[in-house]
Amino acid sequence: MNPAMNPSGNIAVMEQNGDDHLATPIHGPSVHSDNPQERIQARRLRIAARQEARRREALGEYLDGKKESEEEQSRSYKQKEESRLKLTKLLLCGTELVTNIQVATDIREIHRRVEEEEVKRQRLEKLENEVKTSQDKFDEITAKWEEGRQKRIPQELWEMLNTQRVHCAGLIEDKNKLISELQQELKIKDDQYVKDLKKQSDDINLLLERMEEQVKNVMKNFRQELIHIEKAFELERQELLSSNKKKWERALQAHNAKELEYLITRMKKVEDYEKQLNKQRAWDCEEYNTIKIKLERDVQILEQQLQQMKATYQLNQEKLEYNFQVLKKRDEESTVIKSQQKRKLNRLHDVLNNLRTKYAKQIKQFQEENQSLISDFKRLVGQFKELQRAMRHFTIIDAEKFREIWLMNEEEAKALAQRAFDVDCVIHVQHLGLPWKTPDFWFLRNVGPLSMQQRKSATQILEELLLQTEEDGTEEAVSEDESYLDLPKQVSAKTTRRILMLLCDESGFLIESKLLSLLLPLEKSESYLLRLDAIFSALGIESEDDLYKLVNFFLRYRSHHLSSAKESTSIYTERTSLMSALERVSLLSQVDRRSQVSKSEVESIVEQETLQGGDYESLEDRELREKEDLSSPRLIHPNDVLKILEAFVMGLKKPKEIRPVVRVKKDVRDNSRDSEYWESLALVIPVSKQNLWDALYKALEKYYLVLTQRAKLLMENDSLEQQNAEMQSLLQQYLQAKVNAELQIPPTQGFRMPTK
Amino acid sequence: MQDSPSATSGLRTHSQSAFNLQSQASTAGGASSGASPLKTSPNPAPMHLKPKTTNVRRMRRIISEDAEWTLAIVPFLTELCIQHIVKNFQNNPILKQLLPEHQKKVLSHLPHDLPLTVTANLIDDENYWHRCCIKRWPVCHVDKHGGSWKRMFFERHLENLLKLFIPGTTDPNVILDLLPLCRNYVRRIQVDQFLPPVRLPTPPQAEEQSDSGSEGEGNEPEKDHYQLESLVAGLKHLEELDLVYGVKDCGMNFEWNLFLFTFRDCHSLAATIKACHTLKVFRLTRSKVDDDKARILIRSLLDHPALEELDLSHNLIGDRGARAAAKLLSHSRLRVLNLANNQVRAPGAQSLAHALAHNTNLVSLNLHLNCIEDEGGQAIAHALETNKCLTRLHLGGNELSEPTATLLSQVLPVNTTLISLNLTCNHIGLDGGKQLLEGMSDNKTILEFDLRLSDVSQESEYLIGQVLHANREATRQRTLSPGYFMSSITNNSTENSVG
Repeated sequence: MNPAMNPSGNIAVMEQNGDDHLATPIHGPSVHSDNPQERIQARRLRIAARQEARRREALGEYLDGKKESEEEQSRSYKQKEESRLKLTKLLLCGTELVTNIQVATDIREIHRRVEEEEVKRQRLEKLENEVKTSQDKFDEITAKWEEGRQKRIPQELWEMLNTQRVHCAGLIEDKNKLISELQQELKIKDDQYVKDLKKQSDDINLLLERMEEQVKNVMKNFRQELIHIEKAFELERQELLSSNKKKWERALQAHNAKELEYLITRMKKVEDYEKQLNKQRAWDCEEYNTIKIKLERDVQILEQQLQQMKATYQLNQEKLEYNFQVLKKRDEESTVIKSQQKRKLNRLHDVLNNLRTKYAKQIKQFQEENQSLISDFKRLVGQFKELQRAMRHFTIIDAEKFREIWLMNEEEAKALAQRAFDVDCVIHVQHLGLPWKTPDFWFLRNVGPLSMQQRKSATQILEELLLQTEEDGTEEAVSEDESYLDLPKQVSAKTTRRILMLLCDESGFLIESKLLSLLLPLEKSESYLLRLDAIFSALGIESEDDLYKLVNFFLRYRSHHLSSAKESTSIYTERTSLMSALERVSLLSQVDRRSQVSKSEVESIVEQETLQGGDYESLEDRELREKEDLSSPRLIHPNDVLKILEAFVMGLKKPKEIRPVVRVKKDVRDNSRDSEYWESLALVIPVSKQNLWDALYKALEKYYLVLTQRAKLLMENDSLEQQNAEMQSLLQQYLQAKVNAELQIPPTQGFRMPTK
Repeated sequence: MQDSPSATSGLRTHSQSAFNLQSQASTAGGASSGASPLKTSPNPAPMHLKPKTTNVRRMRRIISEDAEWTLAIVPFLTELCIQHIVKNFQNNPILKQLLPEHQKKVLSHLPHDLPLTVTANLIDDENYWHRCCIKRWPVCHVDKHGGSWKRMFFERHLENLLKLFIPGTTDPNVILDLLPLCRNYVRRIQVDQFLPPVRLPTPPQAEEQSDSGSEGEGNEPEKDHYQLESLVAGLKHLEELDLVYGVKDCGMNFEWNLFLFTFRDCHSLAATIKACHTLKVFRLTRSKVDDDKARILIRSLLDHPALEELDLSHNLIGDRGARAAAKLLSHSRLRVLNLANNQVRAPGAQSLAHALAHNTNLVSLNLHLNCIEDEGGQAIAHALETNKCLTRLHLGGNELSEPTATLLSQVLPVNTTLISLNLTCNHIGLDGGKQLLEGMSDNKTILEFDLRLSDVSQESEYLIGQVLHANREATRQRTLSPGYFMSSITNNSTENSVG
């Protein structure tokens, strides 16, 4: 109803549908999706969008951003935007146009309602007024009826009735009027209703018309815009196509040009090649001809040669045939021989195999035997060792027993002798009044079995030595004296040991290499021992003496060396002096040994020797002291050891000859002097003395008899004297006793006394 | 070889070919036998054998010219079977056992007038139902029925039955028999006509009653309409109920009685909708529902599990009914409430506003053509201050004036959910228009704001239009931009940044 409304002023009304399909939201990935992948995607997009926005802002700061962006956007986008705006506007206006009718109807309806309300109100008022007035009138009439009843006069009554009728008629008329008015109104309303209906149908028609129009319009516009957009796209596409085409054409042209170039160059090349080919062909032809001629000539020559060769071939063939025959024969022979040889070979092979088996069997057998023998041998060795041990044991025990028995006997004998001596002494002193002198016999001094000290071997001493020094490393001083008391010359164990060690270290060449390898796993001391043993065996040192000789030799050399160093004498002299010293030492040792064999016999010699040896001893002592002062076999330079050894070996050659004889004697005990010993023990008191004793015994016996008689007499005398004394004392007693007095009194009294 | 096809091609073609043969033979061999054409034309039958035996070579050519002969004339056995199935479908429906392509063929050949008892639960094919619908109704909007032709067929079929149901005369089994057939498919009942029971013997009385229509409620019990109870209880997928208690096209037979919505109707309807737990949309329009009936209905809808839309427009609901509706707002999940063209006044509007203030479900409220006046308008404007859900509000034709406008202008910058606001046909006045313009200038969410015919100056109306345009563009930008999803959550900040 209000078609003149300004559409542009009513943009406020919005068509939902129109907007819906224009602005459909992009359903990209959501940040709140359940799918983690999608969420990640969404966040990435967001970040990208933000960065893009930032970039745009940055651009917009110094450029007219809007313009830029507008230019950036393509024509199609612009067209789209334009169309969208246009269409939304169109839709808005259209819907407004359509809804205007509704709105207009609404307001009419409102107006109608307002009016209706007003009219209704008026009508009600009117009706109420009417009711009131009519009620009044009716009351009036009813009041009149009362009045009329009192009227008796018909005329009056009639009048009154008339008036009443008039009133009623008036009332009814009023009512009728009212009714007619209302009916009139109703009619008007009906008319109004019909009009309204018509109007509404008109409106609806209009609405339909407009809707149709709108639909048409919108359709048209949408189509148009679609066409526009399509055109824009088309145009853009055209442009794009043309530009691409141009590019393409340009590229194609370039390509063609290049192709052409290539073609031309290729043609040129082809021509070149053709020329070259022709040239080559011509050249080849010529060459071919020349070669042909040459080859033909060659062929001729070769044919000639061939003929010749054929001739020779014939000849050769014959020769060869003959040879062939001969060879065939030979071959046959050789085959025969071959077969024979083969047979022989087989036979020999058989024999060989047999022998091999036999050999193997024998080997086995012998091995077994060997095994058994080895075991036997081992057993025997064990037994032998056992036996040896037992024997050694028994020898020791025997020696011990022997020694004990000897000692016992000796003691007994000595006690007896001593008694005899005591007796002799008593006799001499008391009976003869002679001074007695104790006889001094050598055998009295002797204790233990008569034998020389056992000679120890060099190795034994070594062992002892090493063990001792090892054991009493700290208390060397004590052990020194004790252990070397038996050593002829007091060479300290320490020095000896040192010298030996030195020797051991320096003269390793004397030891066999095998032994060295064996020694490796052993203990230090043991290895030393074994080494020294080997060295001594090599040097020929076997006995204790030799060892001491060696040690002394070393010491002497030392001193000599020192002195010689001072006097700067030559080595040769030194050696000679050494030799002499060595001789002296060996002699000394022999003498020493002899002195031990029979001390008593050679006492004088010993004394001589001691006189003699005193020099040596003193010399040696000095040397020793010197040495000790210098305190070191260390001062014997290891390099000198060899020289010393050399000298020593040369010096030792001579006594070596005597040695074995001495050695044989060593173990055998000589009991030749035992009987002599015991005899001499028995004859401690000589026969003359016994005779003396016998005479003395007889005289003494006689003297004893006299003495015994005298004793008897003395005893008798004594007893008589004693009796005498007793008698006297008794007399005295009787004299002095009261009994005497009493006895003077009458005897009666005395009788009384015993009764009391 | 040449003879066998001629034999098979049947008698009809044979005779024809023979005819051709004769004519051709006559033309070809015209020179050889000049008299033969004269003989053949009057009597073709005796000549039949003669050329056939003589011109074997020519016969081939003639047979090959037979255009109608093809092997396709012989139908396949499957084809025959399908035809048979189609013919006897009513008695012996075989469909599910067939291969898919055969099913398709059968369905495409089925007649659309098969009894529903056979087809209803057997055929799901949309094409078949499409044919049925097209045959039955000239205009079909399949979109209104969820895009399903079958559903459409059953819904409209049921609708027709209900429309023409006359209580007392029509057998109720007509509808109830259909129930097992359509229960799986019907989601909506849209009936814009309920016929009253017919009283044949006293047509004049009806005229009398038409005069006393406004007062005559005494004989109402006889005027009850069809009771939907049993039907609705049987439909397990029913979601929408759209009813109009009235008669269409009554023409000169108009009676007020025809448009009665009786109390018994009301009670039964209330029980029906209460029992139907799947119901989402309930519309009862143009049915003279007054306060009491509205209260009865709404009471039955309290705490309904599924209801989302309630439309009671074009009725006679007053303040009490509005109050009941307000109570319903806080006791249901109602999203759309339509009370257009009723008699709601200020108190009703105030109670609605009170419910609206703390409601979190309602999206759309329509109070078009009521009379809530400034008091009610102010109350609703106040409610908008705290409401965070409502997006559409229609207050057209409500006698609103400047005070409401001033209050709205204060609320508009605060509210960020409202999208559409309609204030047409009010007396807002020039000053009110200016104030609204001020309020709008700070609002970024409203996209529609209708102020037609409300005494607002064109200038301010135009400026508001500009603001709306800007808002629309902004929202469009927001929806297009990739950060839309985030911005939709953190409303204010992003809006500012975008704007």
